[in-house]
Amino acid sequence: MKMWIVLEKRPRIRFIGHLDMLRTMQRALRRSGLPVRYSNGFNPHMLLNFAAPLSLGMPGRREVVEVALAEDVSEREFTERLTQSLPPELRCVRCRAVDDLHPAPMALLRAAGYHFELTEGEDAAGFVRFLPEYWALPEIPAIRKTKTGEKPCDLKPLIHVLQADGAYAFDAVLALCEAGTCKPDLLLTSMAERLGISKPEALVTRTQLFAERDGKLIPLEEA
Amino acid sequence: MNAQQERAVERILERVEKPARYTGGEMNTEVKPWEDTEVHMAFCFPDIYEIGMSYLGMKILWSIINRLPYAVCERVFMPWTDFSDALRREDIPLFSLESRKALRQFEVVGFTLQYEMSFTNILEMLDLGGVPVYAADRAETDPLVIAGGPCACNPEPLAPFIDAFQIGDGEEMMVEFLDAVRDCRREGLSRRDTLLRLAQIEGVYVPAFYRAEYHEDGTLAAFYPIEPRVPAVVRRRILKDFSNAQYPDKFPVPYTEIVHDRIVLEIMRGCTRGCRVCQAGMIYRPVRERTMEKVLEHAENLETSTGYEEMSLSSLSSGDYTCLSPLILELMKQYRDKRVGVSMPSMRVDNIVKQSLEELSKIRKSGLTLAPEAGTQRLRDVINKGVTEEDVLRAVTDAFESGWSTVKLYFMMGLPTETDDDLRGIAQLAQKVVGAYFAVPKDKRARGLRVTCSASVFVPKPFTPFQWAAQDTIDVVRVKQSALRDYLKIKGVTFNWHDSTTSYLEACFARGDRRMAAVLYEAWKRGCKLDGWSEHFRYDTWLEAFDAVGLDPAFYANRERPYEELLPWAFIDMGVTQEFLRRENERALHGRTTKDCRQGCNACGIERYPGVCPNLSMPPRKVEVSIEC
Ligand code: SF4
Repeated sequence: MKMWIVLEKRPRIRFIGHLDMLRTMQRALRRSGLPVRYSNGFNPHMLLNFAAPLSLGMPGRREVVEVALAEDVSEREFTERLTQSLPPELRCVRCRAVDDLHPAPMALLRAAGYHFELTEGEDAAGFVRFLPEYWALPEIPAIRKTKTGEKPCDLKPLIHVLQADGAYAFDAVLALCEAGTCKPDLLLTSMAERLGISKPEALVTRTQLFAERDGKLIPLEEA
Repeated sequence: MNAQQERAVERILERVEKPARYTGGEMNTEVKPWEDTEVHMAFCFPDIYEIGMSYLGMKILWSIINRLPYAVCERVFMPWTDFSDALRREDIPLFSLESRKALRQFEVVGFTLQYEMSFTNILEMLDLGGVPVYAADRAETDPLVIAGGPCACNPEPLAPFIDAFQIGDGEEMMVEFLDAVRDCRREGLSRRDTLLRLAQIEGVYVPAFYRAEYHEDGTLAAFYPIEPRVPAVVRRRILKDFSNAQYPDKFPVPYTEIVHDRIVLEIMRGCTRGCRVCQAGMIYRPVRERTMEKVLEHAENLETSTGYEEMSLSSLSSGDYTCLSPLILELMKQYRDKRVGVSMPSMRVDNIVKQSLEELSKIRKSGLTLAPEAGTQRLRDVINKGVTEEDVLRAVTDAFESGWSTVKLYFMMGLPTETDDDLRGIAQLAQKVVGAYFAVPKDKRARGLRVTCSASVFVPKPFTPFQWAAQDTIDVVRVKQSALRDYLKIKGVTFNWHDSTTSYLEACFARGDRRMAAVLYEAWKRGCKLDGWSEHFRYDTWLEAFDAVGLDPAFYANRERPYEELLPWAFIDMGVTQEFLRRENERALHGRTTKDCRQGCNACGIERYPGVCPNLSMPPRKVEVSIEC
């Protein structure tokens, strides 16, 4: 069986990179004494994977991590023991047992929700007021930076939700999968360009991961 | 820190290199709330996070202090320049990792002194933290700034900056010290009266209560207390019951990688070998072992609380630990299934059963590190390094046969009485090591021989038999280095050497007097910091600083001192006596070795204190060769 862990990475450790997160989770699982499964081979490693790495500097509220188990453990026991062995800035929100044949979270991932908190001020207010107009555009050409270079793309179909939250903050749901990804930074850049201002300072938190069922986004942890 | 500063810090973090150095929140680092405790101590490591977090002494004291119900201990590290520049720009004081309190908010600010080249960082951290760097400028409400660690055995170059030094083992002394600080605060004592009370604790030295006077020629004329209630001789603190001393049951587990990222088990303190260049071997006497049961208990506690996948043993000479083989085998047995690797920083050649060597190599085949220190038997006798060429060759042959192909050889250059023959001897020894590799049949040895020869520059240290010796001048060192480079042009051998200017400054501070403090201050004022990092080390600025205060570095480093000269550290009773050191120096200069004191007491001075040296109550024993430290 495999366990899906819904994990909160608190703001204080938002600068911990992905490889360090992996090692941190491995050590937490070792401390917990839970029966984690290891790969075969000369250098066995824990069968542990994250749905999607978080960018450096970004806290996550409901990240999904999958770990394979050597023996069955109840969700409740797993949650309790993991909770005790996690460092203070990581929290186990919930756990869900899935079958070994269940697809990996990474394979089901389609989109992610983000919360943008801008540094308060007139610029920020203008930025947030601009959201509806921006989203109403029929298409949003932008330049996406990839490993192989810069690629033109249309952001419009990659933005699922765009919604103000008070005067200086907003939420977005953006595509995050093989087929197309809109990074939060790209959204900020694109909006700023259209407004003719420089990219605003923002603390971005990833709030949720999504899968798709019947053409609708559902929380990844339920998929 | 107020909300606005918090926001500024977050903005700074976005821009600096490795921001996780400054954010804390690691596993096992939760401490009591600030408001619930009376004495707040900032434990400062004067180097960056990755270095400081690897240091065992800090983990020990951090956990001891946090077990005191009335006290809390938080960590502070030296920030890299990008972060310190930003702090200054935004006017944010250097703060602790745990609760982000400014240094100046603590009652006690403690520094550990591991190496001389971190001294400017102390001034930098105090200044960044809003604490006046000179003790004399501190007000009643400012923290008490204290320091301990190996470099505190000659505290004088730091005397004007530090309110109180702790000399010797800290486990018990720190508790008594903080107890006293708490009492003094409750009684509302002044800073001066508090320091006076602290000076009564064995091992504590309060420099403000002593005066140094100098001769015309700059040598020390007199050193004495100017306050009748403090001791004229400060006696180093020695932990008697080492086995049962407090040891952390938890280590902070960093999120990011640090230098030594593993469980460390301290099995022994002190060393009986008596190498004459080794300060640690002198100042941590007598040798004290921890029982195997205790070590296994520590291993279990730490394995459970950290989840580390590796553990190692720590001591000056692990090979001398009485139960080394059973301990290693037991650790491997207990932890193999838990996938914890057991590694040793050094390996006793003869005594570990070969089988366990092979088992070790299954887990981690890191290189073999040996420290013959000198290239000829004559010079090895001078420094009392009880190792012969055969010992070295047997060790490497053993290693090559067990599948190692990487060997590191450590040497020192500039040792007292060294000649060109001794330098050539280094190359000859390296050549023979290469030969030993090829003597192992091809199918039995691993491929890719790599022999690294590192030669550091000898720095004479206080409380060693060579404390009177002159260090080679930089010019002489450079000539020797280039000669050695020629000699070591051997296929399969790489030569590493140290920057001679750094060693020169180390020598100045190691044996400096109080006046060196002015040089330190001047250099720091001119921008010197992070001197241990070659990209930041500014030798010219240091020379300017010497010039500005009218001192000559050669006076400290390159001058042979007569026995009659009053040494700046002579007021400290380190356990080993000046008579013993002098005797040892004489023997050295006559090429006479001194036996390991497990074979019989050499009257180093510890014997003056009844019941302190466990060796005295044991019969003479056979001693194995040790090449690793
Ligand atoms: S007192 Fe004797 S046995 Fe003990 S450390 Fe000193 S020389 Fe060695």
